Amino acid sequence: MPPAVAFQNVTKRYMRGDARYASLRAQLADTWSRTGMRLRRQALPERGTPALEDVSFALEEGESVALVGPNGAGKTTALKLLSRISYPSSGHISVRGRIAALIEVGSGLHPELTGRENVHLFGRILGMSRPDIARRFDQIVDFAEISHALERPVKMYSSGMELRLGFAIASHLDPEIFVVDEALAVGDAGFQVKCVERMSSLVREGRTLLFVSHDLPAAEALCSRAIFLNQGRLVEDGPARAVIARYLAWTDEQRHHVLDPASQAGRDLRIVGATLHDLSGEERYAFRPGEGLELRLRFEGERVLRRPHVNVGISDGRAGLLVQCSMLHDGEAPERVGPNWECRCRIDQLPLRPRLYQVFCDVYGESGHGVLTEWSQVSSFRVEGTLGAGPLAVSDLSTSGPVDVPYSWRVDEAGDA
Amino acid sequence: MNGHPEVVIEASPRPALGRALRDLWAYRGTLLAFTERNVRIKYKQTLFGVAWVVLQPLAFMGVFTVALGHLADVPSGGVDYAAFSLSAFVAWIFIQGAVNLGANSLVLDAAFLRKVYFPREVPVLASVLASAVDFAAGLALFAVVGPFVGAELSLWSLLAPLIAVAVVFLAAGVSLLLAGLNVYYRDFRHALPFLLQLWLFASPVVYPLTVIPDRWRELYALLNPAAGLLDSFRRTLALGDPPDPTLLGLSLLSTVVLCAFGYWLFKRLEPNFADVV
Repeated sequence: MPPAVAFQNVTKRYMRGDARYASLRAQLADTWSRTGMRLRRQALPERGTPALEDVSFALEEGESVALVGPNGAGKTTALKLLSRISYPSSGHISVRGRIAALIEVGSGLHPELTGRENVHLFGRILGMSRPDIARRFDQIVDFAEISHALERPVKMYSSGMELRLGFAIASHLDPEIFVVDEALAVGDAGFQVKCVERMSSLVREGRTLLFVSHDLPAAEALCSRAIFLNQGRLVEDGPARAVIARYLAWTDEQRHHVLDPASQAGRDLRIVGATLHDLSGEERYAFRPGEGLELRLRFEGERVLRRPHVNVGISDGRAGLLVQCSMLHDGEAPERVGPNWECRCRIDQLPLRPRLYQVFCDVYGESGHGVLTEWSQVSSFRVEGTLGAGPLAVSDLSTSGPVDVPYSWRVDEAGDA
Repeated sequence: MNGHPEVVIEASPRPALGRALRDLWAYRGTLLAFTERNVRIKYKQTLFGVAWVVLQPLAFMGVFTVALGHLADVPSGGVDYAAFSLSAFVAWIFIQGAVNLGANSLVLDAAFLRKVYFPREVPVLASVLASAVDFAAGLALFAVVGPFVGAELSLWSLLAPLIAVAVVFLAAGVSLLLAGLNVYYRDFRHALPFLLQLWLFASPVVYPLTVIPDRWRELYALLNPAAGLLDSFRRTLALGDPPDPTLLGLSLLSTVVLCAFGYWLFKRLEPNFADVV
């Protein structure tokens, strides 16, 4: 059976730098010089910076595949080529089946039109037929939770409502192939659960899905296969769990880049090392729920410091800290530290659920006011675990509350109590 | 297999007219949706709403009737200057509005260009079609109002809607030409009001085509397709005369050439729109 999607030796170069805004004059000069080179039979330099280089892969019908990789790896470019928004510079892509893309969710709605008008017109522009829209209208409105505001122009919607409506329309298209770019980070936590659920129901219906997200648990939960891209090249293609593990191992290697010496230059105090360890002292960046963790910070200063207050926080990427360990609270600051010193923060038990977490740090002066180092990310780690058996276990993995407390359920008939 | 034909996406596909038109036909639903949206948003939050279809040409007619008809005493081919100018303004305001919207449509609808595939001429043509709805209303209006301002309707007036269709094609050709270039060089957006103003004064709207010396008229109708079309439109609609077949034919010829060239250039530039817009 021929694949639903096949990339064959696909390369995409974007016009270099900001050539798009280059003046007509510069463009004419460039064309003139290239024509000159052509006449002199010189080899023409390749135009543009590569976003994808010689990438080949195929998706079978009904397969769900995650594209993972750091920013600028070419993930979004691949989606844009597949959905015919942009064209490859060389190579070719063959597609069987209608494609719908969830890209830049929320843009394209017209502010002057009402919610109702937007569902109809936006839906048709995205490729739905009139009867399709009539049939799904109520579903879309329910999903977006805007039934109370249907007759109001979209410019009077909150940004959350606008995003929800954009996602609801685009995700109720009826294509064979779905292309999703970072669409799950839409709206509040409650709506994110619905988005992930919507995606997993599409996967269960047997649609082909190509999925880009920095939400790795969601990617792993939704997709059976993953492709790791880096700097436009395909690094690994295989089962989702293995490829995501490989990608995480790669990000571990990049971890020392988090502490950028240049940004700290000229400061009296610099963070020069940050490592994570388990309680036996072994360096590790993956933990089980409930395990203990030790953060070791190494500092380098210009002089001896009196009573520096170290402040450490753990975040899961959403607003606010989940855990904060601060000498500013505890009043435990060391009396004197030399120019080179180490600080260990030991957390006996980490009540966190499976997800990626970031570790942040800053240091305050002896009075607790002046900042000696900026608040910045110093490390990251992953909590690994198994999926629960509940119906929402998959979407919970990326959207539920991250703190794990010991708890149990008890349900009784009210009369028997 | 899912029964869908295979689509192959390749580097810079060569423009081929047949394939382009088939693709456009396949996306006629999208074209209609864009058109409907443009019609709906046109008069949202305006006090006079659709009445602007009537007010705009009447206002132009008023200004030019006072300025040129009375003060400068421009010849008006045997009917009142008011009817003479109003008939041409009905068509000119369409050209101006359609080209203005059409040339900027890709930039205005960039959100869709970065989100979903359709032949990129769809938003451009939808802008022209949305303006054409007003044009049709203006034409119908002239049939009612025209006699009161001195128009002499005859059986030839029935030809005016056909000439109007040619005017729509002319606006589409110019819009495609400018829209494609505008994506790359926003210079065109700034130059556009000036170019349109220039085109107005280079076309027989406020003056009759007869001010051009006899021996230059054919070249004029060939170089400025609006000339032959607007003159014929006015002759049939306001003067009740037949169009000049030579001038109309020459302008139709250059309209066809312009549309073909505009579409060809547009399709050449199309593959990179999403990267650049």
